[in-house]
Amino acid sequence: MIEKNWDSQVKQALSRGLDFERAVQLSTCVRCGLCAESCHYYLVEKDVKAIPAYKLKIVEQVFNYYLNSSGRFLTFWFGSQRLKASTVEKWLDILFGRCSLCGRCSLNCPMGIKIHDLVRLGRSILAELGLVPSGLASTISTTINSDNNMGIKTEEWIGTVRWLEEELRRELEDSSVCLPLDREGAKILYAINPREAKFFPLSLLAVGKIFHAAGESWTLSSNYYDVTNYAYFSGQEALAAEFFRRLEISMKRLNCQMLVLTECGHGFVSARWEAPAWLGYQPDFEIRSILEIMADYVQQGKLKLDPSRNNLPVTLHDPCNLVRLGGLLNEARFLIRQSVKNFIEMKPRGIENFCCGGGGGQLAMTEFAARRQKAGQIKARQIKETGAKIVVAPCHNCLDQLLELNRIYKLGVQLKTVTEIVAEALVF
Amino acid sequence: MTEGKNQVENVELNEEGFLVHPEKWNEQIACWLARSQEGIDNLTEDHWKIINYLRSYWERHGLAPMIRLLCQETGFSLRKIYELFPSGPAKGACKVAGLPKPDGCV
Repeated sequence: MIEKNWDSQVKQALSRGLDFERAVQLSTCVRCGLCAESCHYYLVEKDVKAIPAYKLKIVEQVFNYYLNSSGRFLTFWFGSQRLKASTVEKWLDILFGRCSLCGRCSLNCPMGIKIHDLVRLGRSILAELGLVPSGLASTISTTINSDNNMGIKTEEWIGTVRWLEEELRRELEDSSVCLPLDREGAKILYAINPREAKFFPLSLLAVGKIFHAAGESWTLSSNYYDVTNYAYFSGQEALAAEFFRRLEISMKRLNCQMLVLTECGHGFVSARWEAPAWLGYQPDFEIRSILEIMADYVQQGKLKLDPSRNNLPVTLHDPCNLVRLGGLLNEARFLIRQSVKNFIEMKPRGIENFCCGGGGGQLAMTEFAARRQKAGQIKARQIKETGAKIVVAPCHNCLDQLLELNRIYKLGVQLKTVTEIVAEALVF
Repeated sequence: MTEGKNQVENVELNEEGFLVHPEKWNEQIACWLARSQEGIDNLTEDHWKIINYLRSYWERHGLAPMIRLLCQETGFSLRKIYELFPSGPAKGACKVAGLPKPDGCV
């Protein structure tokens, strides 16, 4: 990497991304090292560079140089570090290449430091310098330049909805079933992950069945329907706000009351918890995950489920963004218990669950793929230990990583979304 | 055969097993990719139907087709496609057909 003077860009990114809380947290770590054992990268690599406190330290050093006047002059005393080419290389390798922003370290930090959030701050500085790793940058630019992160054209999406609608009618032998598109005034707008439309549409068929069975008023949108927000992974918050605003535009255009999100971890955290801060206001509609909606249906007696339809042993992978960082602790397991006969929990589970290894934009960054696959061995071991034949994961990103782990570690399991497993148990 | 073997040996793959130069793909490379990357020892006629469609679509459009087109053009059901390529249409079929990795959650 060529040496450059990045001072003004770093200061700009820091002043934009650094609020009081982040500034205090950057000066709080006491290097106790308890976070090490919480990180799947460290557990697999046993490399100091993977210890969350180390990731935090390299961000803190740069923060001390630029925003602490004593730190700039007494660099040795403060351990402060000007951003040089060698620092940038280290940051790229560690902040992008050795962290999936899963937040397990933050949960286990006795000082309460949100380490993963500060890693994201570091990433945002690299993004300011135009140094987002190519795979992630290309997914983001596809989203900017088209309607969604896979570049699906409107007519292709409409064609897919019509095709799936026919499939659904054939399967249910009922010509009145619809996959409504652009239905103005519907109560729910359902936002999808483009991966469902492009390659894995079984979850769309499943959600169509469930909404039909519950008699819901809902619609899909012909444009701006993408629940993902890859700018969250690169720390580009202004851009992340733009991506969220697209969903808001669809909500207004179709005059819906509630935005319901498909099974997507970072999409849920972005829309439900982060968006208000990015936007500077609270959206005037409710934002919920499809898991919450389905759990409500079951509790209200709107869905009749027969667990004997799913006899194979089933386990659940808790997506970090949905559970540890998103707060949906019980919905997925409640729905699975209602839909299958034999449910086995992983150890650890819930908020202490290990990341699959595919989060934080890792799946998009081909340059770090080998490390990601290796880091996934903890999840692979967890799955093996359950003896389950079906792994349910309410996140399309996790599912893709699990598909790879299934092949690499010869797990021999089927992978499903919660929506799919519920739809299979559905009795009409 | 030796020449073919050399051709395969010179193939450059990225960290995820996709071709670095998708334009250098040929049928021999497809067989090798299927075996070494996806654990598919024998590419059947059904596999080839999918691979050939993906390849020709990519050559025309520069990206992978929607699963709808893949199903409709090959006449296979969704489940059949997932059976033929257990890693799925993107990381399985597109990889063997020598397409670059698609953007997004794949």
